[in-house]
Amino acid sequence: MAARPKPLKGPDKLVFLLSFVPYLLEQRVVDVAEAATHFGMTEEEIREAVRLIATSGLPGSTGTYQPNDLFDIDWDSFEDDDVIVIVHHVAIDDAPRLSAREAAALIAGLQYLSASPENADSASLASLMDKLTAGASAAPSRLAVAESEADASLATIRSAVAEGRQLEFDYLNARGERRRRRADPLRIISQDADWYLQAYCHLREDVRNFRVDRMSGLLVTEEPIGDHSHRRVPDTLFQGSDSDLDVVVDVSPEALPLIADYLADSSTQEVDERLRVTLRLAHVHGLKRLVAGLPGLITVVAPAEARAAVADWAAAGLAGYSDAGTMRERRTGDR
Amino acid sequence: MIARVAGAARAGESRIPVEDRLFSLVLALLATETGLLKSEILSSVRGYAERYDPAGQNANLERQFERDKDDIRELGIPLETVESPDRPGDNQALRYRIPKGQYDLPDEVRFTPDELALLGLAAEVWREASLSADSQRALTKLRSLGIEPREPVIGYAPRLRVRDASFEPLRQALDRRQTVRFRYFKPGEAAPRQRTVDPLAVVLHEGRWHLHGFDHDVREPRTFLLSRIIGPVAPVPGRTFEAPPPGIQDRILAELDALRLQNSADLAVTAGSDAEIRLGRRAVLRDDDAGVIRMHYTDVAVFADELAAYGPEVRVLAPDSLRDAVRSRLETVAAAHRGGGEQ
Repeated sequence: MAARPKPLKGPDKLVFLLSFVPYLLEQRVVDVAEAATHFGMTEEEIREAVRLIATSGLPGSTGTYQPNDLFDIDWDSFEDDDVIVIVHHVAIDDAPRLSAREAAALIAGLQYLSASPENADSASLASLMDKLTAGASAAPSRLAVAESEADASLATIRSAVAEGRQLEFDYLNARGERRRRRADPLRIISQDADWYLQAYCHLREDVRNFRVDRMSGLLVTEEPIGDHSHRRVPDTLFQGSDSDLDVVVDVSPEALPLIADYLADSSTQEVDERLRVTLRLAHVHGLKRLVAGLPGLITVVAPAEARAAVADWAAAGLAGYSDAGTMRERRTGDR
Repeated sequence: MIARVAGAARAGESRIPVEDRLFSLVLALLATETGLLKSEILSSVRGYAERYDPAGQNANLERQFERDKDDIRELGIPLETVESPDRPGDNQALRYRIPKGQYDLPDEVRFTPDELALLGLAAEVWREASLSADSQRALTKLRSLGIEPREPVIGYAPRLRVRDASFEPLRQALDRRQTVRFRYFKPGEAAPRQRTVDPLAVVLHEGRWHLHGFDHDVREPRTFLLSRIIGPVAPVPGRTFEAPPPGIQDRILAELDALRLQNSADLAVTAGSDAEIRLGRRAVLRDDDAGVIRMHYTDVAVFADELAAYGPEVRVLAPDSLRDAVRSRLETVAAAHRGGGEQ
């Protein structure tokens, strides 16, 4: 399980302690290193927890924490061999239940995953969700994610990633140009409803994000992928590059979260009840779509070329609604 | 004198870490059948006892205990309050306990290595802080079962973001069954209007988060788009409500789907464009020769925003309401960007 080297807060540490004790009891004898791997923590964090547990217990009738009311461990094994054995325990022996929120978060996560091809077995997903519900101390929060249709090519790409084989495909880029590409697939990453392939592109000789729905003519080749262990596969989809475009916009405060991905920095300036911020985008093709999709909420201030690109985009869209066009289209439409 | 006592309290706090105090409290409350009085807890449980003043000046400690109780309950630990049968209503006679039967994970809830791998992936879906923290805590609890998950799938990272600021306060209100107030900018209205709502379910449908709740102003259930909630979501003090029926969230999703199927639009899309690709995969009917697709949609205003982003790549043929909505959006954008702008 992936390690999360992140300092835990009090309640999180409590959850860990309450989970660690039944684990130790179930395992009977366990190495510090093994426990650290299992919980994704450092060995020192595990030792610290063991020392805390070994001196914890119940106040007892006298309120003085007498030895018999405390946990006890085999101190020799622990100090000499880094091995944990609980020899006396009090109050807890079983795993704690999930909270309503915890169960709901996992259930909604599973609902989102149900869109992926390999999770098509909905019966086992449903039984897993039932187990989480049964394992919660209260009815899980009423949170749900609608199932969505997965892209058919996703399964092919996944197998190429798993087998480490090169892919060939036609790719339509954001500028509307289509080109045949060859790439070493490294990782599939999704953001909301969109799926991306992160791959080493032979044409660009660098790691690139490819949107799966813009790929066609997919071919899994016999060629193995190269060694890319020295390359960083970015964890986010939006990475800066030298050719990026900085654009100043005014945005309504409520729309700010919608453009958070593109903010160049955290500075904002208030201008007539709006916020003036700087966005960083790869090119104007992304900008014009972003701005037109938030009509009235965001206005490009500078540079002038970016303003013009947005204006042209909207005007071209409007041209489709000139009245002559309207009548002709209405007849082709079947209403 | 006062300064010295406060100083001593701080020193006591730093000696016993938070998790030590919380752990000791949970152990003590699990071990008791009849429950412990607050005075017993404060005077004997580690983390409190060191700071307990037998002369009775324990206001800080009592507040600490109240916060700890809330923290423990937030973690899904069933901390109960039991009234004394002889002295109902007397706060000093209240007893606290954690019934072991409701604390332990039921025996039938056990997971296979495959299931745990899937749960690990489900936890990684969330990019949003509180959902992610909740998922990770759940995984920690399940690790106590000692089952090693099957190796996670490499090179696969599905992610879902939550960008609506109102999401987290609504999720809290949902759990606490707390009535809330917020300003809502309904499509088609001139200005946002305040609503008072019992939040019953929060669902993601067609890529957008929706709140279903009982709207006190119209005295009927309503569904709201989180993206149209303006400003803070404030709890209405002292107002809570009955738990909604289980599975209400699935019913709401089904209703939204039914609503979506009632609305259909015919769109002309440019061949090879982004609009054709992205809208095309949601099409229910398509005529490739004419370049026309038919799509269902839930909300005209929301769908019009989406279509406006495609500029000239898509043209609405029908219905007129959607045509007009898209056209007026494009006019707004064009007008706002006409001319050189400020320099």
